[in-house]
Amino acid sequence: MTRHHPDSLTLMEYSAGNLTEPRALCIRLHLAECSHCRSRVDTLDSLGAVMMDQQPKVTVSETSFEQLMARIDAAPEDTSPVVETPRLSPIQKLLGDDLDNLPWKRQLGDVSVLDITDKFADQSERVVLQKLCAGGKAPAHTHKGDETTVILQGAFADKNGVFNQWDFVSLDEHDEHRPVAVGNEDCITLSVLSAPLKLTGTFTRLLNPFIR
Amino acid sequence: MIAITRSTHATVKERPVTTLEQKPAKAEGRKDPWGVLLEKVGKHQDRAAYQALFEHFAPQIKYYAISNGIANHAEELVQEVFISIWRRSCLYDWRKAAASTWIFTIARNQRIDMLRKLQRRNAEMAVETEDLWQIPGENEDEPVTSLHRLMSERRIRESLSQLPEEQITVIAKVYMEHKSHQMVADELGIPLGTVKSRVRLALNKLRVILQDQNV
Repeated sequence: MTRHHPDSLTLMEYSAGNLTEPRALCIRLHLAECSHCRSRVDTLDSLGAVMMDQQPKVTVSETSFEQLMARIDAAPEDTSPVVETPRLSPIQKLLGDDLDNLPWKRQLGDVSVLDITDKFADQSERVVLQKLCAGGKAPAHTHKGDETTVILQGAFADKNGVFNQWDFVSLDEHDEHRPVAVGNEDCITLSVLSAPLKLTGTFTRLLNPFIR
Repeated sequence: MIAITRSTHATVKERPVTTLEQKPAKAEGRKDPWGVLLEKVGKHQDRAAYQALFEHFAPQIKYYAISNGIANHAEELVQEVFISIWRRSCLYDWRKAAASTWIFTIARNQRIDMLRKLQRRNAEMAVETEDLWQIPGENEDEPVTSLHRLMSERRIRESLSQLPEEQITVIAKVYMEHKSHQMVADELGIPLGTVKSRVRLALNKLRVILQDQNV
């Protein structure tokens, strides 16, 4: 049961299809485990449908439907009904391996990170996996720009409360926190950071939102 | 069952109003003409039903493409959306989504897909659009929420007409013009906070915000 949810404005940008891929991924992972937010997104999708319906209509070309049918008749194999198959979790698709077997890079103390920005076509945001070992503490830090985080495994606590698996965390530069991994498991999170990479300063600090 | 219903016909008017909210939604769900057509396409590849859907939704989708800034690909988007409808209609279930909502999500995903393909450099697309943006009712089983889904579209349609123009404008820009709240603020020359509060007010009235935790 998740307790920390994305706010309605973020879900609306998701429903409208306006979020970047990494941010949509965070929402998607949360939705997979949160029926409360799925229901909110359903309503927002309906809002999208009603908006589309109430906008002007533009006549399509006269041959448009014929072209469509010609395409369906010409290549039935490309236009045949889709078969519903269970989907792999997007995180599994992305990483292709067990979370524990990833090539983690040990940072300061209890924190390991793995930068997966290169898995996405749009490189304007940094996407990082972070692991705080069970019982481990991250040094106190603040954030530059917005950070969106979803918890993939385990749980952490900070002054704002306890964040469990699939909880959604949104932070900005005003939030200072000192996360501690709680429970018996390593805490693994997926974070998207808006602040562009600056090659000044200490590289590891920029890489790691936990300790930045 | 039918016989009983008929025999109690005279008492129908006296039914308690407590069921009022659920009844029309259920009835609307069954009668939703676009849902009926979609099912015909899904079950029998019914071309007449497909054409009726095309005539209704294609002009909406073409405008959607143009307002999203891909006017050069508007006809192409319409084609892609309808190929997708043809292929996926077998998965459509009226109990899980209103037809127009289902079609909107397909149009949105095809728009995202098209932009991804146009912008793609050499990077392989590790995750597909549909891994990130789901079509309602696929790969999930939530009968409990289906009534809620069908009701919400009718409710939104009704309450949208009561919203002030300035709120509708902001929502339209987000949904139809692919604009972030920040971009809307820049374009209208108003603070980001004003855009956000307009959206919140609207979502409150549309009862999209059932409860906002962690805000």
